[in-house]
Amino acid sequence: MRFRGGYNILLKGKPAGSVTAMPEPKILYLPLRSERFKFTDIRVKNGQKVTGGDVLASDPDNYAVPLLAPRAGTVRLKAVEGHIVLENAALLEERADIAAKEMLHVEQEMGAAGIKRYKLLSLGAWQFFYDAFTGALPDPLGTPQAVIVSTLSLEPFLARGDVQLHKRLLNLTRGLEHLQSLLEYQPIYLVMPNISSEFANLIRNQIRGYASVKMLEIPMKYPYDHFEILARRLNLKRGGGPIWGVRTEGVLAVDRALTLTKPCMVRIVSIGGMGVNMPTHIKVMSGYPIQKIKDKYVFEPAARVINGGILTGEILPAETLGVDTECRGITILREQEEREFLGFIRPGWGRHCYADCYLSSLRKKFSEQLNTGIRGELRPCISCNYCEEVCPAGIMPYLIHKYLYADLIEEAEQARVDLCIECGLCSYVCPSKIDLRKQLIDAKALIEKEKEEIRQEQLRQEEALKQQEEARKQSEEKTE
Amino acid sequence: MKWLLKIIDAVRPTFEEGGKLRLLNPVFGALEHFFFAPSTRTIGAPHVRDPLDLKRVMSMVIIAVVPSVLAAFYFFGLRFLAMIIVSYAAGLTVEAIFAMVRKEGINEGFFVTGILWPLILPPNLPLWMVALGVAFGVSIGKELFGGTGRNIFNPALVGRCFLSLAYPKTMAASWVEPSHKLVGGLLTWIGPPLDAVSGATPLALAKQGDMGSTAHMLLGSVSGSAGETSAILIILGGIFLLFTRVASWRTVVSMLGSFVILTGALVLGGAVKYPIPGVFGPVMWHLFAGGLLFGAFYMATDPVTGPTTNAGKWFYGIIIGLTTVLIRNFTGYVEGVTFAILLGNIVAPILDEIVVGIRIRRLRNEG
Repeated sequence: MRFRGGYNILLKGKPAGSVTAMPEPKILYLPLRSERFKFTDIRVKNGQKVTGGDVLASDPDNYAVPLLAPRAGTVRLKAVEGHIVLENAALLEERADIAAKEMLHVEQEMGAAGIKRYKLLSLGAWQFFYDAFTGALPDPLGTPQAVIVSTLSLEPFLARGDVQLHKRLLNLTRGLEHLQSLLEYQPIYLVMPNISSEFANLIRNQIRGYASVKMLEIPMKYPYDHFEILARRLNLKRGGGPIWGVRTEGVLAVDRALTLTKPCMVRIVSIGGMGVNMPTHIKVMSGYPIQKIKDKYVFEPAARVINGGILTGEILPAETLGVDTECRGITILREQEEREFLGFIRPGWGRHCYADCYLSSLRKKFSEQLNTGIRGELRPCISCNYCEEVCPAGIMPYLIHKYLYADLIEEAEQARVDLCIECGLCSYVCPSKIDLRKQLIDAKALIEKEKEEIRQEQLRQEEALKQQEEARKQSEEKTE
Repeated sequence: MKWLLKIIDAVRPTFEEGGKLRLLNPVFGALEHFFFAPSTRTIGAPHVRDPLDLKRVMSMVIIAVVPSVLAAFYFFGLRFLAMIIVSYAAGLTVEAIFAMVRKEGINEGFFVTGILWPLILPPNLPLWMVALGVAFGVSIGKELFGGTGRNIFNPALVGRCFLSLAYPKTMAASWVEPSHKLVGGLLTWIGPPLDAVSGATPLALAKQGDMGSTAHMLLGSVSGSAGETSAILIILGGIFLLFTRVASWRTVVSMLGSFVILTGALVLGGAVKYPIPGVFGPVMWHLFAGGLLFGAFYMATDPVTGPTTNAGKWFYGIIIGLTTVLIRNFTGYVEGVTFAILLGNIVAPILDEIVVGIRIRRLRNEG
């Protein structure tokens, strides 16, 4: 496969391959929103006792994807703004199965095939699915034109696939089998960094029977694991129907939900970055108190806590007290404080640069200490073309930036700003320190809004025409 | 360096809104940021940034021309130092005035123009013309368009073009024969008062049918612009620029390649005749003569005035290379690089337009 652009940023603080189980918490803070979901439909009462696997809330805009109680405990609704608090959390026997009565109802409603999808959704496995093109939650009852399963997680520093897979190879292949059973003949692309490795051979042997699983090798370069990039490289078209994207943890969740019929609540999250004393992977459930993680791993008091990776993650606000249901990693970065003296003429033996402008390009690869400094002054674009070189989506960020600067929204749309996958590399490399990623995202939102307005306007007009038509008919009938 | 930061922090209020010297704020800001990088933080994703900033990009170019600058000292004496000082003083004044009027920071782009400018001048040019030319180039060629990043023409070349059209006689009389002593022209001052041996450039001599030695041009002991004489040092600095990826190799390769091919073709086809026999000899001679290499490595590769797209860069280089050959061989001018690059600057936006149009058409069916 041919890929464009991409760039690996080598940073200190890469999580180790081991997984540490965090101690059981006494109290859980479940945030009511995550990257894609807003759990506005609360299903429990204040003071209610719940067991692990019970539905606490659901997101009505996303096929009622549930927020599950990870542990048994007592619900406190109003204790913390934007959270459901679970007091006296305890690890009791999880609800083993969905109630038989409920299943019977589902079977009558949707047939045997529907049960699997119902299980995925209600046991918390469906939230690991992404629509490759929009990144949104796909319709659980829809049929995709293809499924992309990625074992890679290339953004620094998100929980890696190989860590998730440790000793769970069988679960992965079983999960793939379940995935295949949801489809008719559509292909499943299994994306791996090396398809001739021993590990890949093991998987190949296990999935020999499944004709529709195709293994693909991609280079380990950020952000080639992005589902939209993969879908475009596979020549899948937006018009051909949805494409499901699932990562390793998603396939494992599918296996857990469909083989054991158990809810998926514990996940492996990375904790990495320069402000962490022992970067590693931790096993936590959603709602796990962030303060406890910080106490154990963060040594830097004035550090920035990022929910997600270093390039696309959002700053975790101080109000958020628990790990959200979609968290894949927590990154801790030191804030920039000191001002560097004559920084631009330093030899730079210890700093990386995309353009080889520092002495470090004579050195072997190494990891660098980075903080949140913007490292330069904002300047007009000098058309150096680095952003285009590095762009994995094949668009021209500088061109769109110039169009937006001149308020030429239509031109920006024609330059396909919608293909932007928001990977953040253009902002990272820009020597003029222009925040291209944000500008592109804003432009996308603006175009989307305008399109929506036009659509609404058309609907209104059609409605008005219909009404006129009806009024005319009625009056005609009357005259008759 | 804490003490310096303290001083800067102490005097800052004087230059800010409401202070006595608020008009000079851009000058103060430029000085402050020269010594200390700003402490700005990222506000969202991506949370880290590449260390490369415009200051670093510009200092790379300055480092690249250091060999040529030293060679200019060696061949043409201390007078060249005066030219650099005058160039920076005059240019920065213009830059500062525009920055104050526009209430923007002083852009570091000028530090490159200021050093490149004396390098492309005849070494014996009166100092007032050095000042006038750079002031013209910076104000008309750059600031009127909105400053670094928005200019269409290379400011140094605009200045040079202006001087050679406005004062052709003085320009032509300002070439000097470089010092041939072992210590070179170091610690000597040659200038208008003690008029040194004026020497015609190799290209001017070639028009009269006298082609000098290629080896001399490679080393630099020939008459010519202060920084253009030594081909080997220019190549050295140029390769440094290509390695650091500040300059695009596409522009350099296409410009020099097309120049070599067309010159070779003209010699082969008998359209031009040179005293040097063969094809290879005259081609190499022309490659090292005049400002071709300097223009290819330092002037044409300016990212702002050249095309942005990679395909555009190829055509841009080809246009400049071919135009240089045509001007050198078939017009009254002896040197064509300045005009060729300025012509290239004019064409660059159109080339970009075409390439971008094709790319956008291709992007239409994506995804």
